[in-house]
Amino acid sequence: MEVKLLTEHYGKAEFQSLEGYKKIGDGYETLKKALKMQPKEIIELVKASGLRGRGGAGFPTGMKWSFLPENGEPRYLLCNADEGEPGTFKDRMMMERAPHQLIEGMIISGFAVQSKKSYIYIRGEYKDSLRIVEKAIREAYDAGFLGKNILGSNFTHDMDVYSGAGAYICGEETGMISSLEGQKGQPKLKPPFPALKGYLGKPTIVNNVETLAAVKYIVRDGAQAYRKNGTEKSAGTKLFSVSGNVMKPGNYEVPLGYPLKDLIFNLCGGLKPGRKLKAVIPGGSSAPVLTEPEAMRATMDYECLAQMGSMLGSGAVIVIDDSNCMVDLLNVTMHFYHHESCGQCTPCREGTGWLHKTVASIASGHGRLQDIQLLDRISKNMMGRTICALSDAAAMPAISFVNKFREEFEFFVREGRSKVKGEGFRHAQMHH
Amino acid sequence: MPKCTINGKAIEVKPGTTVIQAFKAAGVEIAHYCWHPGLSVAGVCRLCMVQIEGQAKLQIGCNTLVTEGMVVNNTSEPVKEAVKWGLDFHLINHPLDCPICDQAGECGLQDQYVHFGKYDPEMAMPKQKKHKVVDLGPTIVLDTERCILCSRCVRFTDEVSKTNELGIFNRGDRSEIGTVENKPLDNNYSLNTVDICPVGALTSKDFRFRQRVWYLKEAASVCTGCSTGCNVNVYYNEEGAWRVKPVQNEKVNGYWMCDKGRDIYKFVNKEARLQTAKVGSKDQWRLLEGGQAAKDVGDSLRQVAKTEGADKIALVVTGQYTNEEYDSLLDFFNGTLAVKNVYHWVNNPEDMTGFDGILFRGDRNPNTAGLKARLEKRGLKSDWLDLEKKIKAGAYKYVVVAGPENNSVFPDLESKAKMMSAAPHLVWLTAAKSEAVDSATTATYQIPLKTFIEKDGTYTNHVGLEQKVKRGTTIVAGALTLSEAVSLMSGEELDFSLRPKPLTNLKTNFFTAKRGEL
Repeated sequence: MEVKLLTEHYGKAEFQSLEGYKKIGDGYETLKKALKMQPKEIIELVKASGLRGRGGAGFPTGMKWSFLPENGEPRYLLCNADEGEPGTFKDRMMMERAPHQLIEGMIISGFAVQSKKSYIYIRGEYKDSLRIVEKAIREAYDAGFLGKNILGSNFTHDMDVYSGAGAYICGEETGMISSLEGQKGQPKLKPPFPALKGYLGKPTIVNNVETLAAVKYIVRDGAQAYRKNGTEKSAGTKLFSVSGNVMKPGNYEVPLGYPLKDLIFNLCGGLKPGRKLKAVIPGGSSAPVLTEPEAMRATMDYECLAQMGSMLGSGAVIVIDDSNCMVDLLNVTMHFYHHESCGQCTPCREGTGWLHKTVASIASGHGRLQDIQLLDRISKNMMGRTICALSDAAAMPAISFVNKFREEFEFFVREGRSKVKGEGFRHAQMHH
Repeated sequence: MPKCTINGKAIEVKPGTTVIQAFKAAGVEIAHYCWHPGLSVAGVCRLCMVQIEGQAKLQIGCNTLVTEGMVVNNTSEPVKEAVKWGLDFHLINHPLDCPICDQAGECGLQDQYVHFGKYDPEMAMPKQKKHKVVDLGPTIVLDTERCILCSRCVRFTDEVSKTNELGIFNRGDRSEIGTVENKPLDNNYSLNTVDICPVGALTSKDFRFRQRVWYLKEAASVCTGCSTGCNVNVYYNEEGAWRVKPVQNEKVNGYWMCDKGRDIYKFVNKEARLQTAKVGSKDQWRLLEGGQAAKDVGDSLRQVAKTEGADKIALVVTGQYTNEEYDSLLDFFNGTLAVKNVYHWVNNPEDMTGFDGILFRGDRNPNTAGLKARLEKRGLKSDWLDLEKKIKAGAYKYVVVAGPENNSVFPDLESKAKMMSAAPHLVWLTAAKSEAVDSATTATYQIPLKTFIEKDGTYTNHVGLEQKVKRGTTIVAGALTLSEAVSLMSGEELDFSLRPKPLTNLKTNFFTAKRGEL
């Protein structure tokens, strides 16, 4: 059963404008409430709500905010809208259907962390999102929700958008900061962490679109009300972008802890007639794949998926039925990471290419049996060895695919063809 | 002062020390490519992996600060495995063209693979193809396939030369070092990028394909290219010197030296040298042995000083010699002969105080400070402008010149030599052969001297720091040090039996023959 907290009015076109946001929703009433509170109070409230980062890592938001130094330095709030994880399309909908919800959440969050300037870093391909958010920011300025002394308070906040240029790596928070600074979009060495030295060397908080939007509802309804949904460690609702072989793909907002089985078979209308579920990637292409029995048991929350060796990630659920060849899927996935590695750290720069070439050679019928084991070994030696998590993001699907669907890989090597796609299927030759 | 334990060895380090620095301080080997003590931390090669007690994940040593009581090692199995694989990742797209690579023999990949390598390559896929023979500028050629993208060269041009010519273009395993259009890598420090390149990606146009490095010996010395006195190694073999590289000295040059300084090996080689003494003038030169020439000159000078007075002799000195040589020179001329007309030949007076803000100084002599101090101490302050006047007026019978060792930094050589050859007798002590002196019109002695790499001594740099040079090799066997020449002039005998004989039957290296004119 869906719980529409953030997405309540997403079906109505006028919700996009400030006028509609006021009419249908509650306008910027929550901002007014927030400005009467103490910034620290809001941080405590967010801590108490149990809100965790919705971008992929799931780090507790309130705790992230409290890492900011109290030294009077200017600080920045950045909204990560560089939605690049394959399978994820929730932030786009949030920006296009309800830009004011995000902007209000951001002003409140900006107030909580006492930042005078925020940026929304929008994925380069999201031209519509950029246009819509820009327009909404203008409306918010005109209405006095942004700028000097917001609503007569002594809080001043400016907001701007920045369009990325299409690199996956700029969705990594320090990669995004580099890009925003005008440098090549490459993650920065940590420590120092952005909370101490981020954008332009100043304390910086980076939060996902969905995280910032949720802050509005936590302030509006209180921490306890927010906690009513979800589980003890995974509080609140979450948007899941369901794609793949389901009848009704799309974004679904459900409480965390919701059974994956129900998400697929009830909300999304199940699979095509006659098809059987083979696997599910529960949290974007970098999350380790779940087999059918695992998927049937899984609940969509941070702890259950972690326990199964996978992760909730950005909430992109990719449903795979029995018409798909796992070798092919891994090939496509590895092509992506090979293409997107920024190239700074050697294990990732070289490892992603090595993985891709190896799996591509299997998928073109030229693989060797030892290549399957090699994929696993390369991946394990890429994990945890780099500045950012892209290396792990490439390694995790590779490890899970070859170990959970080994017989498909072995079949391909032995027979030179896909186990699933049959005799007549001709595979593309290796890329590059 | 945090105390830590490195591979079981307890040491104490300064606050702010990183783990990799602590390993170096403890004398423990640790693999690394991107880290360089003179540059910022990049943390990208991922080879300086260490295990810190109490931490689950391996950490990189270059970006981890030592904390009190830290127990750290790089000998545990997980670390060894990580380094092995780290090296393999570096090598899967590396060409392995060591037999034709200039870096072979001093290559970071070769060296570290021997210590830490995996030894069972598993890469069976085609390697990435990238650009070969990229001309980066007047001094350097790049092979992007050999490059391991450690980013040292990029950081060098950002942080040290501050010229920002280099960048990394493209992404992932298509990344390549490069320059932007119309902005080649062209600065006076460019060749440092070749030194810090751990592989054979950046090669010096001056040195590539000339020698295999394992045929070269190195001698620690001091750069004589300017008054900074950068510490250097000169690489040589029996055929001569081939290149100069900087040696770390925090007090003087840090880790770097300038490109101009790297040319100093050129004037020590035979092709640039005066190899025997010559007597005569423009019309005819007679060759004779250097020691004999010095004796002959000495006899005449002593005779002139005795019969016609020391005023008939002028001594011209350049800032190119060691302090010990100045002492013996001045002891003889000023002390024994009582010559008071001692002139300091300044090669570029308008630029003597110039400085580029990094290392290179306008005073292109290694020892101007040493010479000045000695002249001052003896109260010798002849005005340079006097010299020409007095020569013209016929005041001097003998002009003795301790000339430039490196002719290329004396733009005024030709005019000064001409001016001085107006004296009845000219004595030119020099390591370098020179057309300007060969076209002297007066009765001239040319006496061959040794260069900095062939003698012991001390130079005083621009801040008064005395730095020793040690004899590395002998290139011109018949040459004398200035002190030896002076001893012979003063009538002393020297034992030459211990000197190295000129090499005979020397096989000419194909590459040397191809090297052409210096």
